[in-house]
Amino acid sequence: MDQLLPAEIVEAGGAFQGALAACADLDALLRLKGAYVGRDGSHASRLMERLKAAPKEQKRDLGAAINALKQQWEEGLKVRQAELEAAKKSLHAQASQWDPTLPPPVPAHGALHPLNRLMDRLVDVFRPLGFHVEEGPEAETEAHNFDGLNIPEDHPAKASSDTFYFAAHPELLLRTHTSPVQVRTLLRVAPTLAERGGIRFLAPGRVYRKDEIDPTHSPMFHQVEGMLVGHNIGMQHLKGTLEYALRALFGPHTEIRLRPSYFPFVEPGCEVDVSCPLCGAKGCRVCKGSGWVEILGAGLIHPNVLSYAGIDPTEWSGWAFGMGVERMSMMLSQTPDLRLFFENDQRFLSAMGGLD
Amino acid sequence: MWIERKVLAQEIPAVAGMDTRQLCELLASLGFPVDGVVQREGTEVLDVDITANRGDVMSHRGAAREISAKLGQPLAPIPAAGQPEGPPVVPVRLESPACPVYSTAVLELGRGETPQGIQAFLSALEASAKKLPAVDASNELLHRYGHPTHAFDADRIKGAVTVRWAEAGESVVTLDGVARSLTAQDLVIADESGPIALAGVMGGDSTKVTEATTRVLLESAYFDAKTVRAMARRHSLHTDASHRFGRGADRAMPRVARDLLVDRLQTWCGAKLVGAWTAGSEGLASPAVVLEERLMNRVAGEPVPLAEAAEAFQRLGCAVEAAGDHLKVVPPSWRHDLSIAEDLAEEVLRLRGYERIPSVLPPLEGPPEPLSPLYLQRQRVSRRLAHLGFHQTVTYGFISPEADAAFSAPGNEPGGRTLANPLGQEYSVMRGSLLPSLRAAAEQNLRQGAREVRLFELAPTYASGPKGPVEQYALGVVWGGIRGGEDYLSPARAVVEADLGGVAQALGLESLPQVRPLGEGLFAFEVPVTALPQPTTRIIPAFRPFSRFPVVERDLSLLVDLGQSHAVLAQAMKAALPADALQDLRCVDVFRHKSLPEGRQAWLMRLRFQAERTLVGEEVDGWMASALAAAESLGARLRA
Repeated sequence: MDQLLPAEIVEAGGAFQGALAACADLDALLRLKGAYVGRDGSHASRLMERLKAAPKEQKRDLGAAINALKQQWEEGLKVRQAELEAAKKSLHAQASQWDPTLPPPVPAHGALHPLNRLMDRLVDVFRPLGFHVEEGPEAETEAHNFDGLNIPEDHPAKASSDTFYFAAHPELLLRTHTSPVQVRTLLRVAPTLAERGGIRFLAPGRVYRKDEIDPTHSPMFHQVEGMLVGHNIGMQHLKGTLEYALRALFGPHTEIRLRPSYFPFVEPGCEVDVSCPLCGAKGCRVCKGSGWVEILGAGLIHPNVLSYAGIDPTEWSGWAFGMGVERMSMMLSQTPDLRLFFENDQRFLSAMGGLD
Repeated sequence: MWIERKVLAQEIPAVAGMDTRQLCELLASLGFPVDGVVQREGTEVLDVDITANRGDVMSHRGAAREISAKLGQPLAPIPAAGQPEGPPVVPVRLESPACPVYSTAVLELGRGETPQGIQAFLSALEASAKKLPAVDASNELLHRYGHPTHAFDADRIKGAVTVRWAEAGESVVTLDGVARSLTAQDLVIADESGPIALAGVMGGDSTKVTEATTRVLLESAYFDAKTVRAMARRHSLHTDASHRFGRGADRAMPRVARDLLVDRLQTWCGAKLVGAWTAGSEGLASPAVVLEERLMNRVAGEPVPLAEAAEAFQRLGCAVEAAGDHLKVVPPSWRHDLSIAEDLAEEVLRLRGYERIPSVLPPLEGPPEPLSPLYLQRQRVSRRLAHLGFHQTVTYGFISPEADAAFSAPGNEPGGRTLANPLGQEYSVMRGSLLPSLRAAAEQNLRQGAREVRLFELAPTYASGPKGPVEQYALGVVWGGIRGGEDYLSPARAVVEADLGGVAQALGLESLPQVRPLGEGLFAFEVPVTALPQPTTRIIPAFRPFSRFPVVERDLSLLVDLGQSHAVLAQAMKAALPADALQDLRCVDVFRHKSLPEGRQAWLMRLRFQAERTLVGEEVDGWMASALAAAESLGARLRA
């Protein structure tokens, strides 16, 4: 049969499947269609001319061969067109879809400072026990910072080597602890203490001591002071409150330990240790293998502190504690250098502060 | 303070068999935590932390006394051969009540050295032996029994010895070779030539014991604590002696320590006693302190039998007298810290063990107080800013005068906020503004490669006032760098001034604060916290009705002058529109291009109308015409 067809058509017929597969898009397919089955100049139209010119006895066979060929071409084109159309459709569909693993737009996230976060947390822990927050100025009088706290007049902490004083106001200093807030608050509430039924508060804040800046010292740091005044308050109430608070902070299995110590504004005084929150008291680098870490200083309010504020120490009693926020933050986070807290690198703040 | 274990065990044999950890816990339970244990001179040495109120524990004997009281175990006796006293070899006069008693002796030194064991003991305590028996014995005695003593070269003392206040203009060269000018508050030991020692602080160079010394005069006295503290501070001379006298020495010790010293010199170097005598007297016992049972029980949190308390005091060396519901307690001569009932209660608890204190939550006696609105406001603003992508900073309250001057309000003179004794010039002024600190922190972040920096601080700022610095909490916000461009949907652009305006609006600030450029692409604002919206007492604001009818939104594209104020234009347009129908009017796009007439820009104004009825197209058309007319009156033209 093929011998009836011209050589170039036979060759084109043989190349058809390859050409068809090579059509990458509908435009190429349209061009191929024109070349094979188009009205003018296509292989099919040339075959039809050949058929017209063929001798009569060949016409039938030739006609059948041409038809078969045309049909084969048209069929092939149709299938390929469907394929290409489907591919195009699916591309369209993909173009309106986005890979869900592409990094999405994330709303900006900032952070609270880790020191503030810890102080906020302490306030949260003491709120259910009825503690509120009292605050006082950083520029304080010597009377509030020292005298009202039963600190002797010749105490070394008063020296200008330890405490910052104001040049134009020699009686004013930068408070060296949050304890003057005790004095201010007690002075304020003394006249109404009975109606209030005592007082209980926390005093978080910034304090200043004349220490050179190094990995463990800073001339400004933070403390949280706690105080409670009521009737018949003893060491058991200090222990009970701190046990509650430190368990709320570090977990229900936390143990606390009171050790005798001395601070002029309390009597009896104590240091409070907590079972190491990092190793569960098994012994680690932080607790130096002892299972305990020192967390705060506390005691029963010295009667002189109550008297200074005009509160009768034979009727009222109370406890107070003071805690170093940086020290506790460093212990909990194992931050190696105190200066990181004041450098304010966003990487540190994001990682350590975060959001509550 | 260093405690050598073997010597401690000589004072209190009960600790000999204890392991180190047990001993450390025992000391901690008494209030003297051990900061470290080191091996020195073939023995264990404990670094014991002694609180400032307990000068009496600053010796091996002192620590042993505490342990003895806690354990109820006996102390070793003090091996003091009571030296017979005789007439003074040198006249000693006490002219000040700050020195009530002065025991002394004169000895002729023989040949001999400080024993090896004593030298090792001193080395273990990091107090090197001088190999002069008189000096080493005094030093050893101090660490062993806590009572500071001194040895003078008796041949270099001229005439009588007087303990007196210095006279202005006098001076003394102390053992460290420093010439000290004295004041009338300095207590000195003097001979006829003048001061030869600072009482209770340091001996003098002119009478010091040397290898050439053949005769010594010993000093074992009691000096007033406050006087010694003041002298040590005035001369910046903090010595082993001043630490102990400054915290209160034992009035009963001068004779005993003198005898121990004589005994040592006799044993170590065959010294011959020329004479021993005492000027003045030890004085009266401390006054009694009353401890009521009620107070004891209140402090302890449980009933403590008075008999148990009395026993504790006896173990501590107190004289106790029980009387009904209270005890009368006379503290021993070495305790200066037992002056009120609470001090006594603490002693009982200490010996009972703080671990026995019960744990009880204090009952509420009145209603709790709410958190103050100002405190809550700061908490809320911090959280809001953190959620807006800002990082809270904590920076020092003091800055350099230059940094302060650049940002503090005019009229806020730095003089009233300047420290007398700053760490340095760069930390000398309490800041009038947070912005210098925020700028430094922001620049540091950008230098460290941050693409974008968003910081805020809520902290006091200071204003000079007649009575001193006045503090006011301020909020500072700084934003800079490139925002966006970190994902395929958010285009990158530089942070601009307007971004800060947006933050201020998000915080609910009524008027936009002044946004200050802090440098290349860095902007900030600062407001007093009082400018921020105050939380209202209403939990939820009063209901305001809103329309459920459809909104009609129309845009108006205007050509306006480059200097046109949006606020003015918007105000003029609003004035021309019905207030009850206009919901919003704002510029939503600004177009500046050379294709526009010179000096003009294009603003796309978006107007939203809504009322308590369905609006009809014609009336909105009329409003838009009025709005345009109002804009045109300000020189705007409809953009073709």
